[in-house]
Amino acid sequence: MKYSYIKPRKKTPFTTDVQLILTFFSITLIMLLTTYAFLLFKDYSFSKERKELVKSRLALEKNIEDMDNKIAYIKKQKEVAQKVHTQNMVLKDSIANLFDLVPERITLSRAELLKNGLILYGVTPNKDVYNFMLQAPLRSIFQKTYTSFYPAQNGWLQFVSTNYINEDENEELNSEN
Amino acid sequence: MFAKIFEALYRKVLVNIVVKRASTLVYIEMTSKKGAVDNVQSEFETTKPDEKMLDFITTYTKESPYYYISILDMSSLQGALPTCSKNRLSYYYDLSNCEYKCYDGKWTYYTAKTELYEIEKTYKETGVDFIFSPFVVLANFFKDKIGGSLALYALVQDSFISIAVFEEGKLLYAEHLDMETSNEVDDILLSNDMEEENLDLELDSGIDLESVDVDDDGSELDDLGDIEDLDSLEELDEFDDSKDAEEELLESEDVLDEADEGSFNEDYQRFSLIQTSIAHYYKDDRYESTFLENMYIADAVGVSKDLKKYLEEEMFLNVYIRKTEIDAEVCELAKEELGL
Repeated sequence: MKYSYIKPRKKTPFTTDVQLILTFFSITLIMLLTTYAFLLFKDYSFSKERKELVKSRLALEKNIEDMDNKIAYIKKQKEVAQKVHTQNMVLKDSIANLFDLVPERITLSRAELLKNGLILYGVTPNKDVYNFMLQAPLRSIFQKTYTSFYPAQNGWLQFVSTNYINEDENEELNSEN
Repeated sequence: MFAKIFEALYRKVLVNIVVKRASTLVYIEMTSKKGAVDNVQSEFETTKPDEKMLDFITTYTKESPYYYISILDMSSLQGALPTCSKNRLSYYYDLSNCEYKCYDGKWTYYTAKTELYEIEKTYKETGVDFIFSPFVVLANFFKDKIGGSLALYALVQDSFISIAVFEEGKLLYAEHLDMETSNEVDDILLSNDMEEENLDLELDSGIDLESVDVDDDGSELDDLGDIEDLDSLEELDEFDDSKDAEEELLESEDVLDEADEGSFNEDYQRFSLIQTSIAHYYKDDRYESTFLENMYIADAVGVSKDLKKYLEEEMFLNVYIRKTEIDAEVCELAKEELGL
């Protein structure tokens, strides 16, 4: 039965001291949980980053391999280019030498370079000039030389000189190079 | 749910404050689920809470958040009315500025709202949870008696007397008497008594035989025939029945103090107040007045034999005095409030 004129005040176990302690522990707990969450996040972040780095490393390794292949290919290309360049130089020198071989009195109208031979078209005042001044050096280079003459309108002779090198010798020369 | 668990873990500290005339009694009881664990009592020479008292209370209240401060209402503007019906209350007293509560659906006790605010203001440092009426203390103290036949009950404190008349649990009359504010009234009463005593002295001085009429027809003497009625055994038996033998037996164990000069004056003042109050009860038409034969006193101050003697001799009451520790009674009320 209620006898009192007034109602009792609400009682709570959370007194000022308890509130202070609870606040302290709550803050500590929140800080610990925050740190734990931060570490979890960092751990997750690091593992994700690690996975990405591994992936990236693999991609880079693949790239490096590709690039190595490309480098090897380019090197090969370079070698081939150098070889071609050298051959061209050789050819250029050969052509230069060839044109040096042609005396002033003979005029070339056309020259065809074959893989293992040379076809020259031109005009010569006469056969002797051709035989002595051009055919002799050509014979020293080519093993097979065939020449055809036919008269031009001005009384000179037009000629077609077909020269071949033996295949075996040519291969030997290439292997030496 | 959590509150209940916490409540079970902590002890309850019941602080009971009873303000006396010049001091304050603080009774503290610590209770657990199993019952009272410890109690401590201290009296402070102040009527307002001072630093010493606050320190004493705080020492115990800080042990548990579940502490309850109970105060016994000592205001002079309080009382009790013999009804719980709101329509009938105004017939007895204007309760517009009062806080009142119904006791067991039978009667109402009240006090001035301003007095409650004053108590709350005075004890704002500690706070107040319960304010109890002395009439409730009285009713609970004589719980075993008020359900019985008509009797006058009084709670005697050092500066207040709470008087109530109960018949079969029903309140017939109640009055709260303030000894300090009624000094002037007592002075008048005392002077009246002195006048009566002077008259008695004049009578005792002797009978003037000359004034006696020899031819008196003796009609007055005829009334002496009624003495036979008074002597009849039936009447005497009825008178004996009205006595409370059980209470007498209990009372015989308590030895009342001999009165010194200070307590003599106080007891006489108390007697005067009770006498005046009973006169009010008999005269006031609003109350059902029946002749009182028994009186039960809850003695919280240690009244002397004189008070009992006055009441028995002057008012023809059978007086039974029970000693009470009012602070412990207030504590019991607080426990009942809390359901302990």
